[in-house]
Amino acid sequence: MEKMENKEALKQQELSENERNQENGEERKKREAGKPVKRGKKRKGSRKSLFFHTLQHIALVMAAFFFVTVLAGSYVIVDTRTGTEAYRLTRENQGSFEDSEMFNHLLGSSVSDIICYGTIRSQMETDARYDPGKEIDVTAFAGRYGEMPREYITASYYLDDLIKWSQAGFSTLETYMSGQEADEFLSRYRVVTTVDLSDYNGGTVSYLNSDFSSAVSVRDVSGNLLESGDIERDEVNATVLKNRYHTVEGKNIEDYVSSWEEYYELCSNVKKAADDLNINYKEYLGYKDYYDSESSNIVYFIRKTIGDRTQIFSNMDTKAESVSDLKKELLEKCDKYVFYDAENVLYDTNTLIEETTLRYILNGYEYAYPENTQIMIGVDSGYGAADGFLQAKAGFGNYVPYMWQYLVGGVICLVVYLFLLVILTMKEGLVRRKDTGEVFVNLQSEDYVPTEIMALAAAGVFAVLFFGIKAASGPVWHLSNRVLLVALAEAAVLLISLLFSFFYYSFVRRIKAGTLWKASLLRRIGRMLRKGTAYAYKNSTLLMRVCVPFGVFTLFNLVVMYGLSRMATGGQIKIGGITLGMLILLTADGVVGYLLYNSAVARQKILKGIERISQGDISHQVKEDGMRGDELVLARAVNSIGDSVRAAVETSMKDERLKADLITNVSHDIKTPLTSIINYVDLIKRENVDNPKVREYIGILDVKSQRLKQLTDDLVEASKISSGNIVLHWEKINLVELLNQTIGEFSEKFEEKSLYPVFRTAKNFVFIEADSRSTWRVIENLFNNIFKYALAGTRVYIDLGSFKGQDGEMHVMLSIKNISAQPLKVNPSELTERFIRGDESRTTEGSGLGLSIAKNLTEAQKGTFEIVMDGDLFKVNLIFPLLEEK
Amino acid sequence: MTNILVCDDDKEIVDAIEIYLKQEGYQIYKAYDGEQAIKMLKEQNIQLLIIDIMMPKLDGIHATLKIREYSSIPIIFLSAKSEDTDKILGLNIGADDYVTKPFNPLELVARVKSNLRRYTQLGNLNVENNALFTVGGLCINDDTKEVTVDGESVKLTPIEYNILLLLVKNQGKVFSIDQIYESIWNEEAIGADNTVAVHIRHIREKIEINPKDPRYLKVVWGVGYKIEKQAT
Repeated sequence: MEKMENKEALKQQELSENERNQENGEERKKREAGKPVKRGKKRKGSRKSLFFHTLQHIALVMAAFFFVTVLAGSYVIVDTRTGTEAYRLTRENQGSFEDSEMFNHLLGSSVSDIICYGTIRSQMETDARYDPGKEIDVTAFAGRYGEMPREYITASYYLDDLIKWSQAGFSTLETYMSGQEADEFLSRYRVVTTVDLSDYNGGTVSYLNSDFSSAVSVRDVSGNLLESGDIERDEVNATVLKNRYHTVEGKNIEDYVSSWEEYYELCSNVKKAADDLNINYKEYLGYKDYYDSESSNIVYFIRKTIGDRTQIFSNMDTKAESVSDLKKELLEKCDKYVFYDAENVLYDTNTLIEETTLRYILNGYEYAYPENTQIMIGVDSGYGAADGFLQAKAGFGNYVPYMWQYLVGGVICLVVYLFLLVILTMKEGLVRRKDTGEVFVNLQSEDYVPTEIMALAAAGVFAVLFFGIKAASGPVWHLSNRVLLVALAEAAVLLISLLFSFFYYSFVRRIKAGTLWKASLLRRIGRMLRKGTAYAYKNSTLLMRVCVPFGVFTLFNLVVMYGLSRMATGGQIKIGGITLGMLILLTADGVVGYLLYNSAVARQKILKGIERISQGDISHQVKEDGMRGDELVLARAVNSIGDSVRAAVETSMKDERLKADLITNVSHDIKTPLTSIINYVDLIKRENVDNPKVREYIGILDVKSQRLKQLTDDLVEASKISSGNIVLHWEKINLVELLNQTIGEFSEKFEEKSLYPVFRTAKNFVFIEADSRSTWRVIENLFNNIFKYALAGTRVYIDLGSFKGQDGEMHVMLSIKNISAQPLKVNPSELTERFIRGDESRTTEGSGLGLSIAKNLTEAQKGTFEIVMDGDLFKVNLIFPLLEEK
Repeated sequence: MTNILVCDDDKEIVDAIEIYLKQEGYQIYKAYDGEQAIKMLKEQNIQLLIIDIMMPKLDGIHATLKIREYSSIPIIFLSAKSEDTDKILGLNIGADDYVTKPFNPLELVARVKSNLRRYTQLGNLNVENNALFTVGGLCINDDTKEVTVDGESVKLTPIEYNILLLLVKNQGKVFSIDQIYESIWNEEAIGADNTVAVHIRHIREKIEINPKDPRYLKVVWGVGYKIEKQAT
C-alpha cells in the first residue's frame, strides 16, 4: 500500500514538475535541447469528443434546415394586386401547380379583378382608351345599381371634370334667399331626360340604357306653374353647391331644376357620381398597371354589345373576330382558362372555378354587363411575366416535390442528434489516464461556477433567446428571401444548440463528478452560516453565552408572571400583591444571575488557562482567588496539570541538553585517544613493513580510525541540532550560487565516481532566508550521500524551481535525484532517523547521520525535507519559503 | 636549529608529534601541562609552541594568555574541541593557528612550517612595491606573476591567478560566481555555471594547507567567495 502511495505521490510530483518545466521558457529550452515535450493524452480524447460535439451541432442545424425549409416552403408569399398574401401549402403535397388551391385562388381573384376592371374600363374608356372627355349622365351613373324611372332629371359632365371636382372637394354655401332671389336662382322648367325602351330588350330602364344617346331624349317641362307668374316662391335658407364645372352644355345644376327638391337630388347625384368615379379612377390606374400584358400572366378578353356599340376590353393583341377564333388563340397560350358566354349561357373551364362563382361576381356588376357579354380569362402557361402566379409556381415547385424528402431528412437528423446526445451524455467528462487506466471526471472551468448561477444563467440566456426569437420570427417569417430565412433560422438553432450543449454538458459533468451540490451557492451559504454561527459562538466569551440566555430567561419569567397575574385577577391588577410577587421573583432571579455570573467568570478563566497551556504557554497559572466549589477544584487541577507539564518539559529539555553535553564531552574524550591511534597507525605506515599481512591490517586500522573520527564529529553535530543547541545566522542567500559552489566543490569527487551533475534552474537568482553554513551542510550531506550511494556512471539531477504553495506564498523547491547503486530497501521516513543507512550491512563508509542532520538542519531553517524513493530512484525534495526580490 | 615546544597532557600524542617534527629537522621540547610549558619557554630559546587546551594544572587558554604577555612566538592550538566558538576564542586570545584533534600529521607539519616562515622570514618584507599584494602569508607579485604562500612558491594557471588576484585586490569583498566570471572572462554570465567554483576549489587546494578549512580563500555559501582580511 505504502509503495503504491509513494508511486502515486512521485507521479504527481513528476507531473507538476513537467508543468513547471514548461513554464520555464527559453533558458530551460536551451538546456534541454532536443528533448521533445510529450503531452496530449488528454488532448487526443478531447479532440475526439470535440468531433462528436461538432457533429451533434451539425445534426441539429441540419434538422433545423429541413424542418424550417418545410415550414417556410409551405408558406408561399405572393404579391397580389392588393398586397402580399401568404398561401399555406398544407394539403397540396402532390399534383401540379395548376391544380393547386393556391393557383385557383389566385385565378379566382384575378377573375374577380378582371370583371371589376372591365366595369371600370367601360366607365373610363372610349374605344379601349381612357377618354377624359367622356360624357357622364350623373343621375344614371349614381343610380347604376338599381332600376331607373323612365324619365328623370339629370345633367351630363365630362369625366375628367367630375374626377377633378371630387378630388378638389365640394363646397357649399348657406344662403338666405327671398322668394324673388330663389326664383331667379332656380329654373322655371325642369329638364327631363326620357329613355326610349323600344330599341332594347329587357323592358327596364337601367344605367346601360342611358348609355346610348339615341334612346335618350331631353325636354323642358314646366312642373310648377311659376312661369304663369301667379305663384311666388317662398323665401328660403338654401344650401347651394358651388358649380366648379359646367355641364357638357355649359350650364349649372340649378338650370335643370325647377324646385329645391329636384335641386338637392341632382346635387347629390353629381356628388355621388363624381366621388364614385374618382374612386374608380384610382382603381382603374391600379388595374391598368397590374393587368397589363407585360406585367401579368393573366390573359383576358371581354366583349359586350350595348345596342349598336360593341365594347372590347382585353390585354390580348389579337385580330381574331369570332369567339371561336379567340378561344382558340387563348387556348394556344393558356392551359387553364375560364370562358363564359352570357348570351348562350355557356360556361366552360378546366379550372376549379365554378360557374356559380363567376355568376356571383358578375351579379355585382350587372349594370355593366349586358346579356350578350362574353368573357375569356386564361393564365399564360409560359409564365412570362413576373407576377404572383410566377412566385406561386416557384414556391410550389420548390416545396411540394421535396417535402417528404425534407421531412425524412429532418427526422433522421433529429434521431442522429438524440443518439449523439445520449452517447455524449454517457461519455461526457470522463477521461481515462493512459498510464494508469484510471477514469476520472475532467471538470472544465465553467463547471466551478456555482450551480444556481449557472442555472440562472441558462434560464436567462434561454429566456432572452426565446423572446428574441419570438420577436424576430414575425418579420423574419415574412421575409420573401427564403434562403436568408433558412440561414437565419439555422444560425438561431446553432446558437441554441451551442448554448444548450454548454449548459447541459456542464450539468452532466457536475452530476458525474458529484459537484452539482458541492458547487452550489446554497451549500456555500449554508456552510457560511454554520461557520458564522460557530465562529460567533466560539468567539463570544463564556460570559456572553451565560448572560444572554439568562437575560432572556429572566424576561420570559417576568412576562409569564405578569400574564399569570392578569389572568388570576381577571385583568385587574391589584398593585400591592402583584408588585410584591414580582419583586420577590426579581430578587430571586438576581441572586441566581449573580451566582451564574460568578461561575461563568471562573469558568472563563479556567477555559483561557487551558487554552493557553494547550498552546504551549506552560508557565501560565489560573488565578484561583474568588473561586468556589467545583470551579476552585477545576482551577487547581488545571494549575497542577500545567505545573507537571512544565516540569516534564523542563526535565526533558534539561535531559536533552545534558545528553548533548554528554555526547560532546564523550566525543572529546574519544578524540584524544583516537588522535594517538591515528598518529601511530600513520607512523607504522611510515616504517617499511615488509609483511603484507601487517600492511593490510594497518590499512584497515587506518580506514576504521578515520571513520571513527567522522562518526564522533557527526554525532556531536546531530545531538546539537536535535537538542536545539545551534545558533542560526539568518541571511539572504542565493540557492543557485550555493548549488553551483557545491557542485564545484564536489566536481572531483563526482568525476571520480563518474557521476554527472545536471543542474537545472529557471532563474539565476533564487533567494531564501537561511543560515548559509547550515544550508551548505544540508546540501553537502546530500551530495556526500550521492557520492557514497549513487550508481557510478549515472546522472545526478538537481532541479530548482518555485511554486505557489497552498497558503498562497511562493516557495522554492530543490529536488536532487540520483540512481541508487544498491536496491533501496528502507522506508523513506526511516532514512532520516539517526544511524539508518540504505545498506543494512553497514559495510560502506558513513555514519548514518548525514540525512538525519540534513533533515534537522532543513527544518531548523523553516524548510521541509522529504525523501521519495521509486525503485532505484532516490530523490530528496527541499522546500523553503521564497524570499521575494524587492 | 629551530626549537619547538610541544605541550599536551597525553604523552603519546606529544611523542608522536615529536617523531613527525624531528623528521623535518626540528628540535623538540616537551611539556605536559601549562605550567611546565611556561617554565620551559623561559628556560629555552623556543621559536614555536604547540599547545593543547584541556590540560591539568594550567590549561592552554590561560597559559597562552600568560605567554602573550612577554612573547610573540607563533602558538598553535591543538585541541579536541572542534566547535567554531572554541576556534574563535583560541585565535582571539593570541594563538596563530588552531588544529583540531584528531589531526592529520602532515597538516600539522605544514602549519608549523608556515607559521615559522612567517615568523622568521616574512617580517622584513619590502612592501614598497606597488605590484605586490599580500594577505597574511599569501603574497602575489603582479610584475612577476608569482604567488607565494608563507614564502613557498605556488603554481597557478592564468585563470586561477586572475581569480586570486581579483579577490586579493579586493580583500574582504564577496564576489559572486557571476561577478567573477564576468570580470575574468569578460563575458556576460548567461547561465549559472560551476566553472568558477571548480577553479576556486583548485586555487584553494594549492594555497591552503587544509582546503576544507581555508585560511585565505573563504566560501560564503550562497553568496560567493572572498579573501579574508587578515592582520599581518
